[in-house]
Amino acid sequence: MSSLSNKIQDVFNEPGCGKNQAKSEKERKKGCTKQLQPGGAAGGCAFDGAKIALQPITDVAHLVHGPIACEGNSWDNRGSKSSGSNLWRTGFTTDINETDVVFGGEKRLFKSIREVIEKYDPPAVFVYQTCVPAMIGDDIEAVCKAASKKFGKPVVPVNSPGFVGPKNLGNKLAGEALLDYVIGTEEPEYTTPYDINIIGEYNLSGELWQVKPLLDELGIRILACISGDAKYRDIACSHRARAAMMVCSKSMINIARKMEERYGIPFFEGSFYGIGDTSDALRQISRLLIERGAPAELMARTEALIAREEARAWAAIEPYKKRLTGKKVLLITGGVKSWSVVAALQESGMEVVGTSVKKSTKEDKERIKELMGEDAHMIEDMTPREMYKMLKEAKADIMLSGGRSQFVALKAKMPWLDINQERHHAYMGYVGMVELVKEIDKALYNPIWEQVRKRAPWEESTWEDVADSAIAAEAAALAANPELAREKRRSTPVCNCKSVLRGAIEDAIVEHGLTTADAVSEKTLAGTGCGSCKGKLEKILETMDHWHAETGKTGTQAQQAA
Amino acid sequence: MSQNAEKVLDHFNLFRQPEYVELFENKKKEFEFAEPADKVEEVREWAKTWEYREKNFAREALTVNPAKACQPLGAVFAAVGFEGTIPFVHGSQGCVAYYRSHFSRHFKEPSSCVSSSMTEDAAVFGGLSNMVDGLANTYNMYQPKMISVSTTCMAEVIGDDLNAFIKTAKDKGSIPQEFDVPFAHTPAFVGSHITGYDNVLKGILWHFWDGKAGTTEPLKRVPNDKINFIGGFDGYTVGNLREIKRIFNLMGVEYTILADNSDVWDTPTDGTFRMYDGGTTLEDTANALHAKATISMQEFCTEKTLPFIAEHGQETYAFNHPIGVKATDEFLMTISRITGKPIPEALEKERGRLVDAIADSTAHIHGQKFAIYGDPDLCLGLTGFLLELGAEPVHVLSTNGNKSWADKVQALFDSSPFGKGCHVYPGKDLWHMRSLLFTEPVDFLIGNTYGKYLERDTGTPLIRIGFPIFDRHHHHRYPVWGYQGGLNVLVWILDKIFDEMDKNTIVPAKTDYSFDIIR
Repeated sequence: MSSLSNKIQDVFNEPGCGKNQAKSEKERKKGCTKQLQPGGAAGGCAFDGAKIALQPITDVAHLVHGPIACEGNSWDNRGSKSSGSNLWRTGFTTDINETDVVFGGEKRLFKSIREVIEKYDPPAVFVYQTCVPAMIGDDIEAVCKAASKKFGKPVVPVNSPGFVGPKNLGNKLAGEALLDYVIGTEEPEYTTPYDINIIGEYNLSGELWQVKPLLDELGIRILACISGDAKYRDIACSHRARAAMMVCSKSMINIARKMEERYGIPFFEGSFYGIGDTSDALRQISRLLIERGAPAELMARTEALIAREEARAWAAIEPYKKRLTGKKVLLITGGVKSWSVVAALQESGMEVVGTSVKKSTKEDKERIKELMGEDAHMIEDMTPREMYKMLKEAKADIMLSGGRSQFVALKAKMPWLDINQERHHAYMGYVGMVELVKEIDKALYNPIWEQVRKRAPWEESTWEDVADSAIAAEAAALAANPELAREKRRSTPVCNCKSVLRGAIEDAIVEHGLTTADAVSEKTLAGTGCGSCKGKLEKILETMDHWHAETGKTGTQAQQAA
Repeated sequence: MSQNAEKVLDHFNLFRQPEYVELFENKKKEFEFAEPADKVEEVREWAKTWEYREKNFAREALTVNPAKACQPLGAVFAAVGFEGTIPFVHGSQGCVAYYRSHFSRHFKEPSSCVSSSMTEDAAVFGGLSNMVDGLANTYNMYQPKMISVSTTCMAEVIGDDLNAFIKTAKDKGSIPQEFDVPFAHTPAFVGSHITGYDNVLKGILWHFWDGKAGTTEPLKRVPNDKINFIGGFDGYTVGNLREIKRIFNLMGVEYTILADNSDVWDTPTDGTFRMYDGGTTLEDTANALHAKATISMQEFCTEKTLPFIAEHGQETYAFNHPIGVKATDEFLMTISRITGKPIPEALEKERGRLVDAIADSTAHIHGQKFAIYGDPDLCLGLTGFLLELGAEPVHVLSTNGNKSWADKVQALFDSSPFGKGCHVYPGKDLWHMRSLLFTEPVDFLIGNTYGKYLERDTGTPLIRIGFPIFDRHHHHRYPVWGYQGGLNVLVWILDKIFDEMDKNTIVPAKTDYSFDIIR
């Protein structure tokens, strides 16, 4: 386990991570182990994150070492598409039982690896660690090493048991497994000055295939896509690429950066969502390749292709634009899509009235601000009623969301379109944008929304009336009772990771005369989890005078008094 | 020899064995003098064209693959819905065998029904003695509480007078004078099964309400707070009527279901054969006169019955096989308005659940094109539901639909943006539908079992909703009315959509990159 904790430390120390860079030395040491809030609605675990990141590698046998829960619930649950082997879809698990828990599961794991190799002869076996074997001390790295030696085949340990942290950490640990055991272990048959890697792209709904023909046309070869529609050998050879594009910023930054460090492969962060973004990404790819020695004429060809494809896409969108212009969208989705889809939506004439930042990194948020201006609502976590309130204020017409929040949206009586992994349409590239616009148009004009928004026709008051009066009553109560308003303000959670309420922060500021967000974090632990509430802490500090007036003390006085 | 006792091949596979293949080939070559294969292919292709469609629609006399059944079938359907009642069909026994097999194949239940077994003699001299003997035998052998007499064409062509014949039979002592023998003339050469249903139901009400064919005083209406409910000819009668009872009980509505055949076509296997089960009691049938109002779920099944009831002073309301949120809303609000009973929260929750389910899967149905055929009211119900789901019911066809039905469907089309470009085809048959599917293809076809030939020929996936459904079991046990019923229809449609997705992606290493477990 010590090697695992070292690994986690290493991942936390990611210099490519802007959020990490903003931290003090001490904080950085603490790591970004966002302690999952007990009792809160939880997201996926590190194992899930690792599995999601790697299972799109199509020809590998993905063997989950653990009880049935881990593979049983995650078998073939992603819509990645394969152009070749479908072995990745077969569910392999050691399915350990009580005896294994008592006597150790290593032997069973070793036998399982042997059986997988005998039966399927995959180019490699990926072994995923899970909580139970990690706790009983199964050393999967040792087992993999022994198996690899014995069977003469790469057996890659993916050491990311669920309890070490959230999904995002698992993505990174998966990246580490590739860096440690796969990348650079084989050599490509030949190389060209046009070889690139695409990192953090999972080929959901076959999206990558909407972009690949464009690259093919330019003569650019995807040496490896990590990991959508990848073959084991692609990734093993990926260190020979000339440049890389990093797609999902949060999930695999460590791969991109370490490949730059180790193999000198420059990378940029880009997106194939939206017309402008796709063009930018193509330009960036060509630019990096030219910088690394590809003939300069590549850029001219790239520009010509961009001009042609953009014209084609706009022409296809034109008929929809009329129906969509002025429609207001609320975007609830995580990660890279938040900002890339914003651009895409704006291109079709829609107005983005709010977006969630749930899974987005600080850079993501910055980009959203850049694209939408400061006033874009960012919704951390919304209850259906808050969502409804926001929608009403913003007069949103539709919500674009991920698979799970769609159901919340529905309860809030809101049209939605699913744009995360469970969707069935590919939205990448120029054609993807046309598809997205088409789907938004379809969703907006679906007759069921009328039905959804209405209450049963025999009801005298509508759902909205009920919500409105509840909201109004609450506001009135707060206005009439400053004490209640104060209590309400003080009981608002600021830091979800560490469960710190605003009251505790205000008290700390007053008591210790704090002036910086870091100091607040030091005293209250707020902002020491994922760090996404740092901005809120700054906002609270900005309005400090307000509380000083309330207590009659200034920060300094309070400090002196203490 | 392919067939042997060690491993007996069923007919699915036996005739594909080499010796049979060869045998059929030789037979074709040596004896059948068939058109050459390319000629057959050429004609087949031609039959898919607009040119052929125009010729097809110019048909004046011939009906090919009709999507309707005869009046007597509907007569039997209505009759078995009354307590201890045996349908007695005055006419040839062959017809009756059809009705029995038809219902048995659909409901997977025995279907009791007798005939007067008219022969050539009867056709020449009239069927009186068949009626006299038949009623006596039926009464003695099957001990019914009521015998509901209807006719086949044979009796109608020779002009047998049911009223007079039944009187004569009673006079001759076939059956007791006071025994209930309502009757209706139901010639197959007029209307369809829904007309037969209407005639028999009206005949039975007339019998009980208006003095039992002149043998007693007509009943005097003393209005009460109950309502009468008529389901109409409905393949889902078992599930639907039970659902309606549940809904009425939740609302606290006092009701009489007229022609309640939900039990007789769903009898338990417990060692007892029930020739009769459930049904509207004769007492309730008589007392139904006093009800405040009568609701018909199928306007075109009660075109004569409802006005007859209205003449007796009741309010009447007709629906068109309501399916889905809006149609069920209207139905429940009408019931609520008539009875003064509020719609309970339990039903409001069911409504919310149906809306929820529709919204959850809406993306898959929205924008899909459908062709629908079936009985007029069912077509209307389904059309309304599809429009509600954002689907386009491009072709709506009913062999027994008339002009006023077509106007109603058109009005539905006009009420929704999804009805634009949709067409209604009254009085057309399934061969017309074949041309429609070839020339203006749709994504899915909704119809009864006979639609499977259209599915085979045109490749349009068939969603089985209608009557009869012979080749799938037990769907009739599920309701399609009420919010729960809407959910069932939604699921049947979705199941087919997803099945098609799977079929489209199932080839290993070729299309299965999208053979997904999550849809």
